[in-house]
Amino acid sequence: MGQIDNELFKRLSDAVVDMDEDEAIAAANEVVERGIDAYQAIEKGLSAGMERAGQFFDEEEYFIPELLMCSDAMYAGMDVLKPHLRSDGAAEKHKVVIGVVEGDTHDIGKNLVKIMLETSGFDVTDLGRDIPPARFVETAKEIGANIIALSTLMTTTMDGMGAVVRQLSEEGIRDRFKVIVGGGPISQGFADRIGADGYAVNAADAIRLARALVAPAEAAA
Amino acid sequence: MVTVVFLPDDKHATVSKGSTILEAARAAGVTIDSPCNGAVVCGKCAVTLPSHNLDKVVEKGAHRLPAGERSRGQVLACAAEVHGNIAVLVPEGPSLRDFKIASHGEACTVDLSPHIVKEYRPDLGVTRVLGGGALLTEEEGDTAGESFGVVVDIGTTTLVVALVDLTTGTQLAAASSLNPQSRHAQDVLSRIKIGSEERGLEELRSGVIGEINALIDQVAGTAGVRRDRIYEVIFSGNTCMLHLAAGVDPAPLGRYPYTSALTCAAWLPAQATGIDIAHGGLIYLPPIISGYIGADITAGLQAVRLHESTETVLFVDIGTNGEMALCRDGKIWATSTAAGPAFEGMNIRFGMRAGEGAIERCSFQPDGTLEIRTIAGAEAVGICGSGLMDIVAELVAHGLVGKNGKFVKPDAAAIHPKLAERLVERDGKPSFLLTEKVWLTQKDVRQVQLAKGAIRAGVEFLLREASVPVAELQRVLIAGSFGYHLTADSLTTIGLLPAGTSGRIRFVGNTAKSGGEAFLLNAVSRREMSDLVEQVQVVELANCKDFDKVFVEALSF
Repeated sequence: MGQIDNELFKRLSDAVVDMDEDEAIAAANEVVERGIDAYQAIEKGLSAGMERAGQFFDEEEYFIPELLMCSDAMYAGMDVLKPHLRSDGAAEKHKVVIGVVEGDTHDIGKNLVKIMLETSGFDVTDLGRDIPPARFVETAKEIGANIIALSTLMTTTMDGMGAVVRQLSEEGIRDRFKVIVGGGPISQGFADRIGADGYAVNAADAIRLARALVAPAEAAA
Repeated sequence: MVTVVFLPDDKHATVSKGSTILEAARAAGVTIDSPCNGAVVCGKCAVTLPSHNLDKVVEKGAHRLPAGERSRGQVLACAAEVHGNIAVLVPEGPSLRDFKIASHGEACTVDLSPHIVKEYRPDLGVTRVLGGGALLTEEEGDTAGESFGVVVDIGTTTLVVALVDLTTGTQLAAASSLNPQSRHAQDVLSRIKIGSEERGLEELRSGVIGEINALIDQVAGTAGVRRDRIYEVIFSGNTCMLHLAAGVDPAPLGRYPYTSALTCAAWLPAQATGIDIAHGGLIYLPPIISGYIGADITAGLQAVRLHESTETVLFVDIGTNGEMALCRDGKIWATSTAAGPAFEGMNIRFGMRAGEGAIERCSFQPDGTLEIRTIAGAEAVGICGSGLMDIVAELVAHGLVGKNGKFVKPDAAAIHPKLAERLVERDGKPSFLLTEKVWLTQKDVRQVQLAKGAIRAGVEFLLREASVPVAELQRVLIAGSFGYHLTADSLTTIGLLPAGTSGRIRFVGNTAKSGGEAFLLNAVSRREMSDLVEQVQVVELANCKDFDKVFVEALSF
């Protein structure tokens, strides 16, 4: 790979971290003009930038507004590159069903995780909020999801997460999906108790978790 | 099964392996302060284990105690799962009475026209006690001069009880304490969860009713009034607190669309609630606006007569749920926001209630020193809500925290060198040292951003719904016993309120209580408020399209 390619990927990545939409668009246009592979530019440029942004979030450098502005830059660059993706170039994306559990309408945290998952290369189906357990299960079956991601802010509705896990077990399809949980009142202990596959403390952590779960062998290596 | 012995009470419980220490404590009937009800988020339920017992517990959860505390044998009761027989030393809980609670609230005077009327019938030699014209009870002889009522502000954290003479309208005595339910769970949602089960509901109900009875005893004693001459008690408080005090399952409040299961603007027989007053006495539940805009707010509206205001006024109750109402031209819009419990000290590294040693005020001096005021003048051990807001406001005002909420680097230009010295790392994270033992972390600042951002977003949507530009907002009234301890500058500096409201902010104190007194003294005001709540436009933030965007903007300082 040429030095120019790498420099452009770095520019895309920096544009995301610097929350600079214009620069993301400019760099993406240059990728297109030079005929550089769009898939690579997304992977090694934009997504890599979001990963760095997520790390800053984890380190308390960035907060929610910064993360969202980074994702704005990411999406701006993405819009330029998407039409130039070769259909055979991209590997099959891992699929995630995400939503806020039944009884709860607080969805800012869920939206953040969704953005982070999308920008990390997951194919995300967002069911929205106040979602009954059965709909998570049905949708996951329908689209052949790898991961079911459940969110809630309210102590009063967190038991709905356990209901999703139970329904999967009752239908004998528990091992077909990884269930991950998060939100204000959720903890690792809670995740263990309801038999979820993982808990993430924030959006950046959710990405690490999701990646580890869909590629357990690589993560262990 | 494993056995857990709790000291110093020497109570024990045998529970299944993997149960948490908190679960074992509850089974044993031991109260461990657990503000977040065991969700492993607040870090306030530390207990001590003998060192040889430490390997018999496994701590799970995101919140962990610093390594130093762990090495002294401390674990979080809610996170520590028990895998062998252990002994647990439970720290002594604070007394319910040791907290600073503001009971005073502004109120307009109302005509003396109580629901309770006593009339002596010389022909029969008895005094009849009437409630809204209906006979409640009869007393021997002429007792018409002895007619009393009580207002209880049932706060999520605190209880305030006031005894009022219904013949003169004067308050005779007031007393306050911590709401005993807050030992089980600090926040409303956890209370709803506990109260959704029969046993939990009864525990919460009997706890608060018992404490209210004790406070009524205290005020009656102080004023030299017989309990059986108290005929009506007003329960003022948020919708959830009224459910719990009345013994009604609050579960519907905890799920969208968050409806109330309790009939308000109505009476209950005092006897049925366990409140010990005159035979035939009544409990009045004031009207509520919605599941999250409760009687504390309608009482507040009554206290400041918001609906009669000719000015454009915003009324805000700053608490775990920031409830607010906006009035313009006699029309009222109201909403509530999930501010979360940061202002109650939860999720804050050194957060605490307004007890002894809590930093309640803080200002940075021109010479770079800190002026810190603690409750009771004791050595600083933590930070309560008002102190937290002061500290963050000063950090912002002096450039130690940027607009984005991040601590600047100690070598940043334009910050006082003496203040820069306080920017240190604690447990590997950027922190600001208040004293050698108390500091504020970057994460704490983030929690304040989330809480104030939620309230600010609510304010923005109310203004938007009512088409009121900030410049036309003539007055902002801040209610709640918590609000009374704040400074107006802190509120605008951190951006909880728009900067344009500076100079127009007034603190009105505990209007849940003073408005409750108005309800007690004037029966007409109750009907007025019942009519008014029908006309209030409730703004449901969950259904506002760009709430995310406004909230995120409101996070900045």
